[in-house]
Amino acid sequence: MIRLENVTKRYGSETVAVRDASFDVAKGDFVFLVGPSGSGKSTILRLINRQERPERGDVWVAGQNVNDLPDSRVPFLRRNMGNVFQDYKLLTGKTVFENIAFALEVIGKPRHVIARQVPIVLDLVGLAGKEDRFPNQLSGGEQQRVSIARAFVNRPLILLADEPTGNLDPATGEGIMSLLDEINQTGTTVVMATHDHRVVNAMRRRVIQMDRGVIVRDQERGVYE
Amino acid sequence: MIARIAYAFREMWASFRRNLTLTAAAILTSAIALLLVGTTLLIQRAFENLLVQWKGDVAMIVFVRSDASPEQIALIDESIRSAPTIINVDKLEYLDKAQTYEEAKRIFVGDPVTLSLLTPENIPSEFKVVPITQDPALVRSLSEQYRSLPGVEDVALAEDEFQVISTLSKFVRTVTLVMSLVLLMVAVGLIWNTIRTAMFARRREIEVMKLVGATNWFIRIPFMLEGLLQGLIGAVVSCGGLWVLNSAWTNGVAGFKPGTGISSLVVPSGYLSGVMFVILMIGALAGAIGSAIAASRFLDV
Repeated sequence: MIRLENVTKRYGSETVAVRDASFDVAKGDFVFLVGPSGSGKSTILRLINRQERPERGDVWVAGQNVNDLPDSRVPFLRRNMGNVFQDYKLLTGKTVFENIAFALEVIGKPRHVIARQVPIVLDLVGLAGKEDRFPNQLSGGEQQRVSIARAFVNRPLILLADEPTGNLDPATGEGIMSLLDEINQTGTTVVMATHDHRVVNAMRRRVIQMDRGVIVRDQERGVYE
Repeated sequence: MIARIAYAFREMWASFRRNLTLTAAAILTSAIALLLVGTTLLIQRAFENLLVQWKGDVAMIVFVRSDASPEQIALIDESIRSAPTIINVDKLEYLDKAQTYEEAKRIFVGDPVTLSLLTPENIPSEFKVVPITQDPALVRSLSEQYRSLPGVEDVALAEDEFQVISTLSKFVRTVTLVMSLVLLMVAVGLIWNTIRTAMFARRREIEVMKLVGATNWFIRIPFMLEGLLQGLIGAVVSCGGLWVLNSAWTNGVAGFKPGTGISSLVVPSGYLSGVMFVILMIGALAGAIGSAIAASRFLDV
């Protein structure tokens, strides 16, 4: 589903964000990218959804070489991916329903599809009944659930999560993790960047550890260390 | 498809209302710029009424009495052609009474009193003379000669009638053209800035849109429509202003003494509509250009 081949990415001429990184993620996998801040985890995610282009090497997503993709095709690549962030990136002027509907609206989905899909995904993330709330009326965990709902409402092949539990207390983080696990059970490939030891150790999934841009460990059913 | 169009217009309208002060500034500036463009075109056309009979380097007009006999006309023609070193005989043109009357309708468009005194029968016919020489004194001495020919009513020299107006017209045209071009650029800049601000205010939305796979055109179009609308509203305002100005001017000069020339400085209403159409086009174009530049340069989040 995702393959990186000897990928190097530099910001400016000095800072090496990712150096010669290679790995393969099969369809339906759940992968943790771990490592300290600045180790290149987020850059890997940004390379996968083509917010960045590698300087050397190739990034393959769903059989497509992302580097060769013309800019005009990038939106269609991204329709196969959901993105979840530490800071949720919800639109404060829109309700929960509108935030999720927005993701379908802007890719041109007709109204009846939106009306059918949004309640289903709201139910999945456990926010049924809160569709008319605004983001600032919700707890952090609930806001992250809205953002996961928005990422998943279009049934993407891949879910990219960048520190999704970073702003949450442990108990709330656990809830988010079981939600991501549930989404993974539906066949969605999940790649999650984190430096949260607890969730990594609790889940026992594949762990790719990074240090200063280099992959130093790639282990099935690993722990944080 | 309908959902997309509805989305584009809804977003355009929302953004339009959100930035009311900047939007008003952009609209007013484009209105003033376009008003100047329109005024330039109208002034130009009005001056042309006075200059129409001197078109094509004509330096001298020999007016022939309406009751002149064909022999007298032939004699005048012959006399003019007998000075080929001073006069460009190839370009010598004779307008009969009917043609002169057509021209007069244009010259006296704002002076119906004078025009009503003229008929295709009592109007003089005319020879239009283009000189070869650069020396106006030679042309002037010829004019004295022609004035004494039988059947000649009067000889008019461009030097006396035309030069002042022509110079004035060129000056006014240059000044208004430069001013309107500068103002038009300011208007495009203001629209650009308004759209840029609107996009900046919605950068989080744009970021989300890009992440969930909205195409660049889908993101851009509401903003471009907004800029287009600003330019178009500015144009509509300036059309209103132009209409008011033109009506006031036309009514004002109608009171002038007939035959002074000033009353010729008006335009037919058909021409005014044409100018308004041009202004609407320029306004929409300016808005589209300003917003297109903004939308393409500020889309990277």
